[in-house]
Amino acid sequence: MKPEDLLREALDIYAPWQIVRMRNDLGKGQIDIWVAQQAPKTGWFFNARPNVEQGNEQIWRHINIGNARCIVHATPPSGTAGDNLQWFGEADQPFTHGLSRKIASMFMEGFSFPAVCSTLDISVSDLWKFKHRLDSGKSGLSGKTARAGSATPQAESAIPEANDPVWEKLLDGTISIDIRILSLKLLLTKLREQFSVITDSEVRILKAHEMQRYFVRHEKLLGHELAQLARF
Amino acid sequence: MKADQGLMSVSSAAELIRQGKYLSIAGDEAALRQLPSGHWIGGTIPYFMAADGGTVSREQVFVTEVSGFAAPPELRFYDQGSLPQICRNAPENGYSILIIPAFSAIHASFARNAPNFEEMYMKPLIGWIAGVHLDDLSTVTPKVVLGSTGEFSADHAVVMDVALPPEKFAQIDIVNLFRPGTGDRITFADTGFNAADCQINGQPGNLADYLLANNSDTRLPLVADYSGAMINVSIKSIEREARRVEFYAPVFPGIEYRIAAPLTDYLEAFRAALPQVEADISFSCNCILNFLYSDLAGKRTGHVTGPMTFGEIGYQLLNQTLVYLTITE
Repeated sequence: MKPEDLLREALDIYAPWQIVRMRNDLGKGQIDIWVAQQAPKTGWFFNARPNVEQGNEQIWRHINIGNARCIVHATPPSGTAGDNLQWFGEADQPFTHGLSRKIASMFMEGFSFPAVCSTLDISVSDLWKFKHRLDSGKSGLSGKTARAGSATPQAESAIPEANDPVWEKLLDGTISIDIRILSLKLLLTKLREQFSVITDSEVRILKAHEMQRYFVRHEKLLGHELAQLARF
Repeated sequence: MKADQGLMSVSSAAELIRQGKYLSIAGDEAALRQLPSGHWIGGTIPYFMAADGGTVSREQVFVTEVSGFAAPPELRFYDQGSLPQICRNAPENGYSILIIPAFSAIHASFARNAPNFEEMYMKPLIGWIAGVHLDDLSTVTPKVVLGSTGEFSADHAVVMDVALPPEKFAQIDIVNLFRPGTGDRITFADTGFNAADCQINGQPGNLADYLLANNSDTRLPLVADYSGAMINVSIKSIEREARRVEFYAPVFPGIEYRIAAPLTDYLEAFRAALPQVEADISFSCNCILNFLYSDLAGKRTGHVTGPMTFGEIGYQLLNQTLVYLTITE
């Protein structure tokens, strides 16, 4: 396998999409790549002439290349053709689908904002923008090929695992419980309001993880509430 | 565990500071400026619920001692840009006391955005909004104080982070006398400290017109049911010409509000609703609107004491609500 093929594979870029240009002088520790569809019989990808899509070029942060930030430049294909492309992103989202999924997985594993930012070398403001769009139902995570984050088993705990359907039922209002703890009342109200506008299944899973994480953290205080959840 | 607290002279408070105690102090600005540097945070307010009843004093200060911590509490200012990190920076097991100056940009920012701060609701956050004597509203600016440096600020928030030992945990609760009335359901499209357009029972309407047409008692807040917690938004004024209503806290989209049911005997209802956990209350504050509307000067509302403030913080900004902190094992 040629090195350029390895790079394409590492970045989840597959035919008919090609890397048609690359620069490493636009930012410190940053590699910018331009992706476009190629006409048949193209040669070495840096020399090939792209079949340029009509429309405005958009830019997203993609999964890092080693220690370097990877910036993808591309013109969105028409319709939903970009939905399943890991290196592609939604309009107004700072990250590609691939990076979005990676961030979502880290949240589900309990990574804090700063830990996500430092591990992936992304800015807090971009991460806030990303999360706000998820929370408001304006962006989703579904339709991508990467796996969802795994749930962390809670050893010797009365708390249902994060992937237990009880959390989504609690958030969509199918289950109502009597709550004695102020912070849970406020958090549940916020998450239910977000849940009501989120249609993307992966983001709904993310919200369920947030709910479960609260219970894990406050288990000692939540005997009354957990006893009710156990009935479902 | 019960923290020592009460209304006292400036000299008594100064003595506690000199003893090295960690304190949260409320008082008129002139009184606070007489205090020495030390392990304390403060905010300006001359209204208190003291052991003897509601009190207005420019000379005395209300002191709450913080004790039982696992490590020395950390005191610091936050500006508007850093405040969203407050919960993340809080101790893993403990609580934070937050004081914000009223009418400042950081006050507005906190009111709007606190529910979405990172780690919000995960770590106990309690506090209050600093104010001024109502006679001074047009001349004096509310301020907070970082006692360790003696610095006063009208545009920062001040915070004391208190770490607790593993066997103890902090819990915040509220007492709100108001319940949603049986009237119309009111919703808003946007977050804001004021509103004109709204939905009334699902139909477009104007809130100012609605309140005026119904001759509503503006001492009664809008109340929303947050999964069993009654959360108020108090009405500041109705701007008749602008057909707009101003609030003391923001309304939020997606939340259904109703005008509160009237209270027949505010004082008695207040006494009846007070928590029966006196020995465990480590910090508390109540709203100046409760003080004013219930004419609490000289009257005791029960065993819970503290500053009467321009807004209460029980995780997020609250109105016309008593907020209290307990520490249990």
